[in-house]
Amino acid sequence: MFEANGEGDLGSVKVFTSSNGGHSPETMADMAMNKIMVINEKAPPPIRDQAVAYRNNVRNVILYYLTEMAKTERTTIWALLRQQGHDDMAEIIRRL
Amino acid sequence: MAINQAMCGTYKKEITVGIHFWLDHTRTGSSGISADTFKIAMFTSSRTDANEDLTAYTTTNEVSGTAYTAGGAALGSVTLGLGDNSSSVPTAYLDFADTTWSTSTITGARCAVIYNSTLNTAGTGATVNHAAYPSVCVLDFGADKSSSAGDFTIQYPANDANNALIRIA
Repeated sequence: MFEANGEGDLGSVKVFTSSNGGHSPETMADMAMNKIMVINEKAPPPIRDQAVAYRNNVRNVILYYLTEMAKTERTTIWALLRQQGHDDMAEIIRRL
Repeated sequence: MAINQAMCGTYKKEITVGIHFWLDHTRTGSSGISADTFKIAMFTSSRTDANEDLTAYTTTNEVSGTAYTAGGAALGSVTLGLGDNSSSVPTAYLDFADTTWSTSTITGARCAVIYNSTLNTAGTGATVNHAAYPSVCVLDFGADKSSSAGDFTIQYPANDANNALIRIA
């Protein structure tokens, strides 16, 4: 059998888009979870529920660190801009 | 016909005779064979021949916009796995790094086509031939997708025998 994943299944690839900015940490966390953990919809309900709860916990941890990563990256950019004498631009970054 | 997510019929024939090289490999009596470059290109809903009967990439109804180049983007980090699927059937599967058009403005992308961009001219004169830029599969987004001064990301499924994008079971 040759098959492209889920022929006719619209969930096979997921498309994420953004406007006036990049993806949010929430979106990135969802993308990470799509790769880390797939829950079989046919799993027995108690097992599936447990898996969903675990998945949510992992997502929250990832989301926290992605958010912190975004902040610390802004700090790096802020410092670089200040070093180059662009205080006004540095302030814009700091306020994000 | 309408847009339909599917592996292209011609691709099934072409891989059977060994036209597409996803990865570097060797073959008895031959020196190392280099991998081809595969790309993913996006099209609007007007591309109604994007289905299992598509034979090749062409620019008809391809999306355009800031940060998007005709022909699309190369698939990176190609990996090939082998494992049993949930039905205990040995399954070969391909995975790629997600494709992102950063800082892009792309409007009305409805589907995508993965194709072999190394084969840029048609192969002719043999028992099995191929078109220029032979297609691999069509991916249906289900709705028009757009980015505006932002990121446009296609995320491929989890890399395993049950979910990977391209599987042979």
